[in-house]
Parts: sequence; structure tokens; C-alpha cells
Amino acid sequence: MIISIENLKKVYDTGKIQVEALNSVSLKIEEKEYVAVMGASGSGKSTLMNILGCLDRLTEGRYILAGEDVSVLSGDSLAAIRNKKIGFVFQSFNLLPRLSALGNVELPMIYAGQPYNERIKRAKSALERVGLGERMHHKPNELSGGQKQRVAIARALVNNPAILLADEPTGNLDTKSSEEIMDIFESLNDEGVTIIMVTHEQDIAMHTKRAVVFRDGAIISDRPVEGRITRKGGISA
Amino acid sequence: MNLMESFKSALQSVRANKMRSFLTMLGIIIGISSVITIVSIGQGGKEAITGQFQDIGTNIVNVQVKAMDTSVEARDYFTLKDAELIKEKIPGVEWVAPYAEGRGYMKSEKESKFTMVMAVNEYFAGLMHIELLEGRFIDERDVQNAKNVAVIDEISAKKIFGTTNAIGKRVKISNQTKDMYVTVIGVSKNISGGMAAMFGDNMPGNTFVPITIREKVLANYEISEMGVSLADMSHSKDTADKMIRLLEKSHRNEGVYAASEGFTQMDTINSVLDIFTMVIGAIAGISLIVGGIGVMNIMLVSVTERTREIGTRKALGARNRDIMLQFLTESLIICLIGGIIGMTLGVTLGLVIGNFINVPLGVSPLVILAAFGFSSAVGIFFGLYPAQKAAKLDPIEALRYE
Repeated sequence: MIISIENLKKVYDTGKIQVEALNSVSLKIEEKEYVAVMGASGSGKSTLMNILGCLDRLTEGRYILAGEDVSVLSGDSLAAIRNKKIGFVFQSFNLLPRLSALGNVELPMIYAGQPYNERIKRAKSALERVGLGERMHHKPNELSGGQKQRVAIARALVNNPAILLADEPTGNLDTKSSEEIMDIFESLNDEGVTIIMVTHEQDIAMHTKRAVVFRDGAIISDRPVEGRITRKGGISA
Repeated sequence: MNLMESFKSALQSVRANKMRSFLTMLGIIIGISSVITIVSIGQGGKEAITGQFQDIGTNIVNVQVKAMDTSVEARDYFTLKDAELIKEKIPGVEWVAPYAEGRGYMKSEKESKFTMVMAVNEYFAGLMHIELLEGRFIDERDVQNAKNVAVIDEISAKKIFGTTNAIGKRVKISNQTKDMYVTVIGVSKNISGGMAAMFGDNMPGNTFVPITIREKVLANYEISEMGVSLADMSHSKDTADKMIRLLEKSHRNEGVYAASEGFTQMDTINSVLDIFTMVIGAIAGISLIVGGIGVMNIMLVSVTERTREIGTRKALGARNRDIMLQFLTESLIICLIGGIIGMTLGVTLGLVIGNFINVPLGVSPLVILAAFGFSSAVGIFFGLYPAQKAAKLDPIEALRYE
């Protein structure tokens, strides 16, 4: 089991009012799973993503990531977890504009303290893996949206994380680019990468293997995706 | 992230915003260059003044009878015995040059020249740094044997004899009460130096005679001053006190004598110059602070602008201290580059201004080191708050920032 959360509670204390974003959520995700987290805005799915990504701390409950209880960790230790065990893919790519594609992919390894030669070698192979071997010296503003997101995926994967967390990865992309990204996710999942993707688009969720639906801070449905769309354009069971 | 990486990243960001970085640096450049210019010129001026005083002789203590004091009696004036006594009894005394001075006229059959007449011993040439052009100065034998000889200055020699080659010629020294013929044994430069050259004939001449014939030449021949040369000036105050006590004991009086060191004047001028340099330097230093505030301002803008970058970096595993280091290095680089440019500018400006006002520049390595230290300190001090602000950003908020 790669992720295990038990009775997770998250309360935002805004002074006078206490907002309960997540209420006793329990979720287990196995290695090599491909999960869609769905729900309307305010349903608590973003809060879950922030907690799964170790960007936010939970109020109550337990979160075990790859065998380590991260609910007790703080500050620098969480930064190290994010660096080594989690790969982020954001809706708006979040590439650093001043750095080339290669430089962006290098970043997580800089914070991991990898030596320069190793960084370049691994960044290059990660970019080749997402089909951007030719454009590694381009700056983000010289790349298309789909290409930007592919750089971001290469960056997320470069430290060989335990999970890939994607927050609306196709939200800013046209249909064609979205399909490209979904293809990449699928092949990565085939290679054994655990992917958790937040989305509110039904057709994007159809690419995953399991859909978890949130409403009002709780899971209302958790089941395998039926009629899943695969790369070959076919439908698998 | 190690220092190397944050340095590289900071340099990149400085280069990415060239104009902005330059304008930010400008404050530091102006601050550092003005401090260096002022301190260098001040230091140069001090060195120039010290040099001038060194020419006069800084290891001299002057002992004198307080001439203003009306209660001075004849027995209070110095005698040649006093000079011997001081040399004998006070340790560290190299020589003693007592002298008496007055005014008079040098006269030939046709010409006459107003002159200062100084009755001196063989050490006086050392005391006043007298430069001889012809012949020799008064020596020990002239003094011992009370010879009727004189050393005159070149201006007088030219006026009286039409040439500086006046050795062996006789000249009459006269004042209201006395007339006296002496033989010229040497011709020196006028002790007023450059001033004499400027005023030429209007400057009084110099006539030096052996101190032992002072009664025959001077109207008022009391010895009221002695120049005492010390081997080591570090205890000059003690030595001066000892001399005065010795003189008081031998003359059986009190409070009549005063000693002054050649360099007390120099100290006064130097301390005035120091205060001057410090005040203007401090004003220039304020511009450095203003420059520092400019750096802080831009860094704060930069932190806000790059909120998302900070969030992204944190999501990718940057610890708070990595972010802190990144921004701190950036402000440090801006200030250091500004410091280097400012230093170059300051030295150049100092050279130009120093050249105009004829003061050699005193650029000490200490000033350069201080400039570096100062600009780094400004960079760190004013970079700290923005860097801290960046480091403390909440990653979720930062990632969401538009």
C-alpha cells in the first residue's frame, strides 16, 4: 500500500468560524493505481490533494505515505518528502519562466543535492521520456501548452517519486493536448507509476482506473471506472 | 540547495532584470563611491600635512620662556649652561639648540638689507632644516671660540654682494644700538622657503651667528628658546616635564617655562581633518543606507512578483532556508556588484578631485576592504527581511497566487 489515510479531518480555523473541509475521510491507494479524485468545487478534493502532497497538514487522523507516517512530520521533513516521494503536476504548469525546460526539470534534483552531471543526465532522459528531447533548451514561453505540461511531468518524475499528483492537469489545455497528456499518464501508469489526478471533467476521469468522488468533505463514491478510455482508442474492462 | 547553486540562480535573476538591477545598484554605487572619495581625499590630505610636519622635524620638543608673562626676570632666561645640563641629565636627549633672535640690517657700502638675526649653535641647522648653498654652517669651534662669523641667506647675499658666492666677505650687522662686522662663512636658503621665493626682496633675510657673540650683535640677547631633539618621542611629555623641572630647579623659579611638541599642532590639524572626514563620510554613509532601503524595496517587489515561483520551488522540495538563501544571495550580489562599481568610481573620482585640489590620494587597502564589508553588510541587512518574507510564504497560498 502506497497511501493509507484514516479518519482524516481538516478544519480551517478562520478565527470566528471553523470550516470543516474534510470529515473523517479514509482512503487506501495501492501501488501502480491510477485514481481520479472528483467532485465539485468546495467538495474537499483540493484539500485532500494538498494534504496528500504534504503541502498542508491535517487536523486529525493519520496519513501514511510509502510506509512513513507523515502526519507527524513538520517543516523541513515535509519539504524532503515532497522532494523525494511526490511529483506535482499543476493546472497552470508552474514552470519557472527564466529557466529552460532542462533547468526546470533539474530543479527537484538541485534541492535533493544531486551533482551537476547526474542532474543533466537524468533531466535529459526524463525529457526524452515525455517526448521533448528536441526542445530541452527552450524557455517555457517558447513552448506550447501541451509541451509545457510535458516538461512539468518530466520534472515531477525526475526524482522517481512514489506518487504523481496531478491537479487538473488538462484544465488549461485544448482537447488534442489533453489527449496527449492522458496518453503519457497512461503509459507512465503502465510502467508502474502511481498516479492520483484531481479533475472535475468526466471524460478526463474516464482515462483512469478508479474514481473517488467527494461531496461536502466526504467520499460519496469510490469505484473502478467502467468503460475506460485507453490509448488505442478502445475501451477496456 | 548549496551556496553555489543559489549563487548561480541569483546571478541569473539579476541578469534577467538588468535595468532594474542596475537602478537598484545605483544607490549602493553612489553610497560606496562617495564614502570612498571622501575618505580617500581626507586620508590623502592628512598624509600631506603629516609629510609637511615631518619636514620640520617631529622629534623636537621646544622649551621656551613664557614671553607674555611680564614677571619674567633676567635670571629666568636660559643660559648655555642650561643646554649642557639638559643634555647631561635628561636621558634620550640627542642635542640641544638654544637660540636668541632679533632684528637688524646687513650693510655693505652701498646696500642694506633688513634681516632676522639668530644667535645659534651648531645644532640649529638640524632644528630648522637649513639648506646650505655655499660654504658651511656655524660649527662647534665657532661657538667655543666666539668667532665673528655669519651664515647669511641667498637673497641677502645677492642683494648685498650681487652673488651667492660671498664666502670670506665681510658684512656689517647693525641695529639701533650695535654695529658689528662679521665674515661670511656660508650661504643658505632662506628659512621661509617658498614664501621667500615669492616675496623676494620683501622678505627679511636670515643671519646666523655663533650664540657666543649674541651680546655683540643683538639688542636683546636673552636666550628664550631651546629646541631639544629626542631619540624617541613616545615619552616626549614626560621628558618635557623633566626638562622643565630641571630648569626650574636650576633657576629657582616656577611656572615660567613651557614645552611644546612640534607635532601637537599637527595633531590638532589632523583631528580637525578627521572630524571633517567623518562628518562628510557619515553623510555619504546615509546615502548608502538609502541605497540599502532601495535594495530592500526591490527585493520585496521581487518576492511578490515571484510568489508562484516560491510556491513551486517549495512544492518541488525547497526548504525555507533554501528560499531564504536564494533571496539573500540575490540582494548580496546586487550590493556586491554595486560595491565594486562604486569603489572603482570612488577611487577614480578621488583621483580626479585630488588632482584638482592638489592632494595626493590615500587609498588604503583597509578602505577597500571596508567598502566590501559595508556593501555586503548592507546586502545582508536589507535583504534579510524580504528573504524571510519569501521563506515564510505558505506553499498552497503561493501556488495559488495570480
